[in-house]
Amino acid sequence: MTETLFYRLPWQSSSVYPGAHPGQMIGAGQLFKRHEPLIASPDPRRIDLRASVLDPFSGYRVRVYQQQSSVNVYLLADMSASMGYADKQQTLIRFLLTAANSAFGYGDKFGFIGCTDRIEHRWLLPAGQHLGRVSALAKQLEHLSFTGNANGLQNAAAFLPAERSLVFLLSDCHFPLPQLRAILGSLQGHDVIPLVLWNQYEYAALPNWGLISFQDMENNATRTLFMRPALRQKIMTAYRQRQHDLKNTFRAFGSEPLFITEGYSTQTINRHLQQRAA
Amino acid sequence: MNLAVNTPLALAGLLLALLPLFNNGIRTSPAPWTALIPADTLSVVIVGCLRLCAVAAIAGLVLGIAGLHRTEQSRERIGHGAHIVLLLDRSSSMDNTFAGRTANGSDESKATAARRLLTDFVKQRQTDLIGVAEYSTSPLFVMPLTENKNAVQAAIAATATPALGFTHVSKGLGMAISFFEQQPVTGSRIVLLVSDGAAAIDHDSEQKLRLWFKQQQVRLYWIFLRTANSPGIFDQPEDSRDDNAGAMPERYLHKFFLGLGSPYQAYEAESPDALQQAIADINQLENLPMHYVERVPKQDLSAVCYSVAAFLLLVLLGAKFCEVKR
Repeated sequence: MTETLFYRLPWQSSSVYPGAHPGQMIGAGQLFKRHEPLIASPDPRRIDLRASVLDPFSGYRVRVYQQQSSVNVYLLADMSASMGYADKQQTLIRFLLTAANSAFGYGDKFGFIGCTDRIEHRWLLPAGQHLGRVSALAKQLEHLSFTGNANGLQNAAAFLPAERSLVFLLSDCHFPLPQLRAILGSLQGHDVIPLVLWNQYEYAALPNWGLISFQDMENNATRTLFMRPALRQKIMTAYRQRQHDLKNTFRAFGSEPLFITEGYSTQTINRHLQQRAA
Repeated sequence: MNLAVNTPLALAGLLLALLPLFNNGIRTSPAPWTALIPADTLSVVIVGCLRLCAVAAIAGLVLGIAGLHRTEQSRERIGHGAHIVLLLDRSSSMDNTFAGRTANGSDESKATAARRLLTDFVKQRQTDLIGVAEYSTSPLFVMPLTENKNAVQAAIAATATPALGFTHVSKGLGMAISFFEQQPVTGSRIVLLVSDGAAAIDHDSEQKLRLWFKQQQVRLYWIFLRTANSPGIFDQPEDSRDDNAGAMPERYLHKFFLGLGSPYQAYEAESPDALQQAIADINQLENLPMHYVERVPKQDLSAVCYSVAAFLLLVLLGAKFCEVKR
């Protein structure tokens, strides 16, 4: 797993620990932040003579620099039954490993919160820097068949730290919009990057004619359809409308979603991340 | 519509007809969220129809197994016609021709002619109730009054068997009249006596016949198939010593019938053509409106059930071929 996510923060991390992202701490850095009195920052090497001469109170002024800080990266994953559709589970695992690798590469801590109809402790990984634990989790996920719905996502905020973190929300968003609003509302304190995992196969690859019976993966309700070109068009329109609604909802909460419909690729996510930081 | 089944126990299988309501039998494909699929009325209608087809197919099979049938029914009808009892002479002389010889290829016997013409007669009288009785040494009960023309035709055809010995007309008449007992009096009641000879009727029988003819209001038609050179009905005796029932039974039987008090008509037929004329006369005369009950026999409906079920199963099979599995 050599792929890396190049995520940048458009905000300043409040983390104390040095890392790779702009932070609120001052310390060893390259970016000048402000002047401080020598008494507040007793580093004679950084005395700025020009500023000291100009100081009306004749004190010594010291240049302080912004410290590059670390940030906590969380993967908030929807593990409802619908995420078991087609290759979504593999995508989840692949993204988990990629994100963990990248976070560790940046020196950030990585945590995982897997949500089904509630949040289970075995699908919780507290923020840390142990690749082994992530790999073990990925291995466990590989043999898991997803069940239930995604109600647990609403409680996920309780498992996130109080300070602002970077949260990847990986879900297919196959739940009602009010529920999505509640989730996003609870995640307001964090930087949320929604990744909406859809599979083209579920709506674009439908047959033109024939009888087809769909069984809902979450509530087991069946819908039998007499497929015909008009209905196929209607279904595709419904998915497009849904995509539109989801985008509007995410934007209302200040985050731009990325729809992954044509197979997972780290490059696509990287492009999205770079657009976001700009 | 009185429906019934042969084995009511098999109707328990009708419970199976509820199965399609729980499972539509179409292989399901997983879908992440069916709520996203827009509502589609046509699909709902088609699926509903398929379910109904399946329910009906199972119900049809079960009803077929149970042996669904329509019970025998009677239908009241009003038509023009009569209750006719054909009273046929089965004495051996009937097997001779009108010329008095044994029948050969060119001349048909009196019985054959009577049979042929009566068959036509029955064919024309579609709304009548017709019974058949015969007599020779003793009366023969052949066919009660029935509207089933095929049965009557068959009964008439059965007289083709060689005839028996004597002519016992009084007992035959008694039996013919007894056909009308327990029959409603509608239309006219006719006894059509076809014979080629007569016999003396004893006093007791005369009394009884008089009574019965009055009671049952029966009209009598006598078609006398006269053999050439034999005494006829209307012949006057040349010698007064011959004027008795023993010597001229035909004349005396005719007299007796005239004295019955009920409508009576005699035809003397000396050839098949004359016989045909006589029958045509009767055919014209007896067409009074009558009220009768037609019986519709039991009808087996299991074949219908099976064919309906087979058709529905074909429809379902077609739907199965239209199925898409993803």
